[in-house]
Amino acid sequence: MRFFDLWSMSSSNLWKRKVRTILTVLGVVIGTASIVVMISLGLGLSESMMKEIEENGGLTTITVYPGESNSFEEDNTDKLLTDELVETIQNIDHVDVASPVLNINVIGKYGSYENSYINVMGMTVEALEKMGFELKEGTIPQRDVGRLQFLYGNQVLAEFYSSKGGSSYWETGELPDIDLMNDSIFIIFDADAYWNVQYNDGSAGYGDDSGTPVTPPKKYLVETCGVMAGGPEDYNQYSWNVYCDIDLLTTQLKKVFKNKAIPGQPTTSSGKPYKELYYNSIYVNVDNIDNVTTVQKEIVELGYQAESNMEWVESQQRQYGYIQAVLGGIGAVSMLVAAISITNTMMMSIYERTKEIGIMKVLGCDLRNIQTLFLMEAGFIGLIGGVVGVTLSYCISGVINIVVNKMGTEMQLSYIPFWLAAIGIIFAVLVGMAAGFFPSLRAMRLSPLAAIRNE
Amino acid sequence: MAEKKEEAVIRVKDLYKIYRVGDSKVRALNGVDFSIYKGEFCAIVGTSGSGKSTLLNMLAGLEKPTKGEIIIAGEHMETKNENQLVKFRREHIGFIFQSFNLLGTMNALENVALPLTFQGMDKATRLARADKVLDLVNLKKHKKHKPNQMSGGQQQRVGVARALVVNPEIIFADEPTGNLDSNTSEEVMNLMKRLVREQKQTLVMVTHDNHLASFADRIFHIKDGKIIKIEDTREENKEQE
Ligand SMILES: Nc1ncnc2c1ncn2[C@@H]1O[C@H](COP(=O)(O)OP(=O)(O)O)[C@@H](O)[C@H]1O
Ligand SMILES: [Mg+2]
Repeated sequence: MRFFDLWSMSSSNLWKRKVRTILTVLGVVIGTASIVVMISLGLGLSESMMKEIEENGGLTTITVYPGESNSFEEDNTDKLLTDELVETIQNIDHVDVASPVLNINVIGKYGSYENSYINVMGMTVEALEKMGFELKEGTIPQRDVGRLQFLYGNQVLAEFYSSKGGSSYWETGELPDIDLMNDSIFIIFDADAYWNVQYNDGSAGYGDDSGTPVTPPKKYLVETCGVMAGGPEDYNQYSWNVYCDIDLLTTQLKKVFKNKAIPGQPTTSSGKPYKELYYNSIYVNVDNIDNVTTVQKEIVELGYQAESNMEWVESQQRQYGYIQAVLGGIGAVSMLVAAISITNTMMMSIYERTKEIGIMKVLGCDLRNIQTLFLMEAGFIGLIGGVVGVTLSYCISGVINIVVNKMGTEMQLSYIPFWLAAIGIIFAVLVGMAAGFFPSLRAMRLSPLAAIRNE
Repeated sequence: MAEKKEEAVIRVKDLYKIYRVGDSKVRALNGVDFSIYKGEFCAIVGTSGSGKSTLLNMLAGLEKPTKGEIIIAGEHMETKNENQLVKFRREHIGFIFQSFNLLGTMNALENVALPLTFQGMDKATRLARADKVLDLVNLKKHKKHKPNQMSGGQQQRVGVARALVVNPEIIFADEPTGNLDSNTSEEVMNLMKRLVREQKQTLVMVTHDNHLASFADRIFHIKDGKIIKIEDTREENKEQE
């Protein structure tokens, strides 16, 4: 038989038994829709998890902190972060980049605007390149410029307040009138000294316990090399910070503080700074997600603290895995029920058509054609059910997302990518054909004598 | 006789069919031997339960013999598997049923074209051929009718057309007029006889009616699974002339 004849014969057979076909298709519709919607929920959840991870820094990043000091000696520098340690970590297998991180809080000034709490992070240019900032304008700090350059996070601008008493962005919704890229921003590195001057100006006569001379600290013009992409409310791990080259930063700080201790650096019991610079943290980038845990363990074994997103991600993944399994299971059960109902429908139809099948065999219809005829009928039921089911899934998914968004979350809880829709339909057809396989064998094996017997 | 030296289209040798019903055995066919020659119209006559249908079913490859050989158009039927039997029927055999067995959802034309569909013929060609054959059986006006819109005689003529449409070498008919009144029966018998004569086809018909059997060239009388007599009406006719 020609394919088209098989096709039109089996589809007209379904058409003849409209009500039964529709009822059977309905089962497949429900089965397909529940599987697709269930998987879409799982996908939506893990999608939003991935987004969250990106906001919290990449998956391949480990941050190293000083080891917990277990001795009570004050000038214990045993587990502090040194260049030597950076070197050691760099040499661990699978470590791509290890960079010291030095951070210091500075004050930024532009005209009457002031940002009194800028967190400056000094890192190697290599590491900055690795972090993959998205920039609105400019570049990340360059290697060979020889002067200090700042890369501003997208939320830093909003923290500039007008010292004339104007209100902040957070109250008015208006950003300060500063072009970070082109305006000259002055930076005060010695924030303590600055506050001392402010304090003494404001309430003269109050005794200064340290007795330091009250000269205002020097302001430095620091060039901006770039600004990160994003608005004042788009948070990510970097958006509050300012990044710069660590070597240039230390040079600058040594110049500013001379013999004094740089804020945040440990001091000897007599209050003197150490010769060596200790870092606040070490940024470590690992070549592959799979190696993060190993590297992290190795660093911890060295006696330092190491943090990564891995543990959190793993627990999240496990959790979403459970949710997906449960949801998928519900879908699978309804699909199984649909499959059973297809088998049942096909069996009924074969019992009714025993005579017809017998006649076809007497008239010389190929056994394989008979089997194909019934497989196609079952496949048709699956196909129609699959197409309608996927369409229904898109509707349900839309409704779920609208409801969830009304409740105030912005995430897309249900997400049906094209491949899921395609797989849903293919799966429904396969389930239909699998459910029709046994009946089709039965039809093939029916005796042609059924046609001869007179009822 | 010169005719008997012609090639046998059907050759049956020592054929047995034994059914087991519980502990007892039913010998539906109990040693049957005969030959049917090309272009012959043969009738198998006997009382109900004598084994006529069993014999015909085995000739058409619908049932396996317990023992014996059936050679049709040079091929052994008893050694073929079901697939091969279906293929053989599709290519060599036409079948006319007692209860017409037309498909209720198809009209006359489509019913006649059905065996051609099984041969993989394209739609236009097979409908054209079915159309011609329906003209042959005088059903010009009923081509678009569904079976339930036709009389028994008309339905059986569609049945005859369906058997003839593939232009088979052999046509089997099991009580083809069993569901028809006597006038219509004669009509259909005459039609079948005329058509197979014109196209030099071999027709094997089963009936319990001696009168209807007398339309045939040769009559096989069967009783309790054995052929007890073979009558040749052509010799009688010749003698009468
Ligand atoms: N499938 C079967 N199982 C058991 N006995 C059968 C079967 N088919 C036919 N018979 C028996 O074989 C004998 C011949 O049957 P059948 O060929 O149908 O007779 P006829 O067509 O001449 O009336 C009968 O006795 C019948 O009961
Ligand atoms: Mg019978």
